Amino acid sequence: MLIPEFLQTLVQGFLLGSTYGLMALGMAIIYAVSGVLNFAHGDFLSLAMYLCLAAFSYLAFDPYLASVIVIPCMAALGMGFYQWLVRPMVGRQMLMIVQLTLGVAFMVQSGLLMAFGGQPKRVPSVIEAKLLIVGDVVVRGPQLVALGVSVVLAICLYLSLNKTSFGREVRAVQQVPRAAALMGINVPRTRLITFALGFAVLAVAGILLVPGLPIHPSQGLRYTVITLMVVVLGGLTNFVGVLLGGLLIGLAEAFGTVYVSGVSGFVLPYLIFILILLFRPKGLLGGAA
Amino acid sequence: MLNPSFWTLLRSPVPWIVLAVAVSAPLWMSPFYMSIAILTLFYVGFAMAWNIVGGISGLLSLGHSIFVGTGAILTSALFLNLGINMWLGVVIACVISALVGAVISWLDYRFRLGHLSFALITLAFAEVFLLVVLGTDFLGGASGLILPNDTGNFLQFEFGGGRGYFYLSLSLAVFALLVNLLIINSPLGYFLRCIRDNEDAAQAIGIDLLRCKMVSMAISGALSALVGAAYGRYMVFIDPYLFAGLNLTIEVVLVATIGGLGTPFGPLVATLLLIPFGEVIRGHLGGVLPGLHTFIYGALIVIVILAMPRGLVPTAQDWWQRRRRRGEAAQEKPELQRGLKPPTPMED
Repeated sequence: MLIPEFLQTLVQGFLLGSTYGLMALGMAIIYAVSGVLNFAHGDFLSLAMYLCLAAFSYLAFDPYLASVIVIPCMAALGMGFYQWLVRPMVGRQMLMIVQLTLGVAFMVQSGLLMAFGGQPKRVPSVIEAKLLIVGDVVVRGPQLVALGVSVVLAICLYLSLNKTSFGREVRAVQQVPRAAALMGINVPRTRLITFALGFAVLAVAGILLVPGLPIHPSQGLRYTVITLMVVVLGGLTNFVGVLLGGLLIGLAEAFGTVYVSGVSGFVLPYLIFILILLFRPKGLLGGAA
Repeated sequence: MLNPSFWTLLRSPVPWIVLAVAVSAPLWMSPFYMSIAILTLFYVGFAMAWNIVGGISGLLSLGHSIFVGTGAILTSALFLNLGINMWLGVVIACVISALVGAVISWLDYRFRLGHLSFALITLAFAEVFLLVVLGTDFLGGASGLILPNDTGNFLQFEFGGGRGYFYLSLSLAVFALLVNLLIINSPLGYFLRCIRDNEDAAQAIGIDLLRCKMVSMAISGALSALVGAAYGRYMVFIDPYLFAGLNLTIEVVLVATIGGLGTPFGPLVATLLLIPFGEVIRGHLGGVLPGLHTFIYGALIVIVILAMPRGLVPTAQDWWQRRRRRGEAAQEKPELQRGLKPPTPMED
């Protein structure tokens, strides 16, 4: 009885963590090239989920099919976010940028409340009820898809950042923007594309999470906090660290809910975060890779 | 300098006239606007309490819901579950909040986390606090607590109807503002602003960083708890999502920033303008568009940060001073010719 339960929890945490890692990757690449920690991240994730809902209710699209609409929309939104809100802030105090993104978070959250109402909603999917049973471990269909897509996307991102000329530009902008500009890299353009990419990754995370999940306009901040924890645990710009941070938080959430009774179970991921931040302020793997 | 000296301010007639008008408000205000005024004054209290940490010390705390929640929820829980008088409960909540604030400051200092991490760690603590409240039956859990009806018994922390709460919230707001002014004009205020502007330089000239930060966070926490307890008693229903949720704090932070941080007047003016505005919108359009007022706050903060990064009040003050100086310079031309330097307007 004990070992199957343990395995089930492990798998749940792993599946959850892979999606958290993906969410956090979107934030981490944006942070890496622009130094902006986006406190509206969770609300944009929420927005992507509501776009899936809209695609379902008006066009009867399955969330996975809706990605053809949601991903381009979110990428365009990311470009607009950079061009009109982040770019004019270059050189300003970090705390002001944080407050700007908090303002945007409030706008998105209230906009969703106005457009979709305060009742929790669900977006069904065809594979929602499909189960994969291996031994004693049961995995829901959407979670399996989420794991697969997360792994593939993370590998693609890793390869494109390390092996392509675009990736080289991104890394150059991350390290020393001025030197990158002197080497002929168009820094604003690189940042613009990275914002689009970050928001597209975020949209994918939203689509992967949404099937069968109850969504609510005020959920955004909670996702922001989780994403921030994962990114900070990962050491901010260390993308492998960020994925590991996602797994750690996902596992902590799964094990906390199953094995630790009551409140302290839900609090476990936050406690782990606070402890790691106190004793390893540079993140799990320390510093940038 | 933007900081008026404390005593000159008390001697000037303006605050006394404003206070007199405010005190007479229950005589001419309709109950609907009265409730808005009460809410606004509670928000002034929250904004002033937050300003001690966020404005004067420059530490972006997103975790003040811990203190507000402790004030409202713990006080009510102690009263409902153990029958502890709410006045005593308020004292307990304030002491606990001050201690928690000091501990958070200590963690921040001990581990040298820097400004952004301060925002992150307070956010994480606030989320933990909300989860703890939601999961603890003693604190009312997810369904909240309901205080008994207000019979106006002052000894039981009851203040009667609207008028009583108006004067309560007014005196708390004035008290919080006075605490701000006292801190700003005391050595502690200079130390804190010094730390805000350059921490290393502050330490180099011998300012005790740890002590200053702990004291400011403790005062801010206790003040937030005090206002939170009063707000909770006014609301009767202690909704955990309202008092321990993050939105109240973020709303206060955004409104304060729109006004302009640094002096207490920026947050004060912005709160006095925006909260009634938001409430009127909510009163008239709340049924149709429930999130409109927070949407407008969000949009305003974005516009203010992009267009006038120092906030409404400092920008307006600068504009006014520059205008006045220009007028003076035009009048005092002969003096200028005698070799006095023309006053240079503050540019930034």
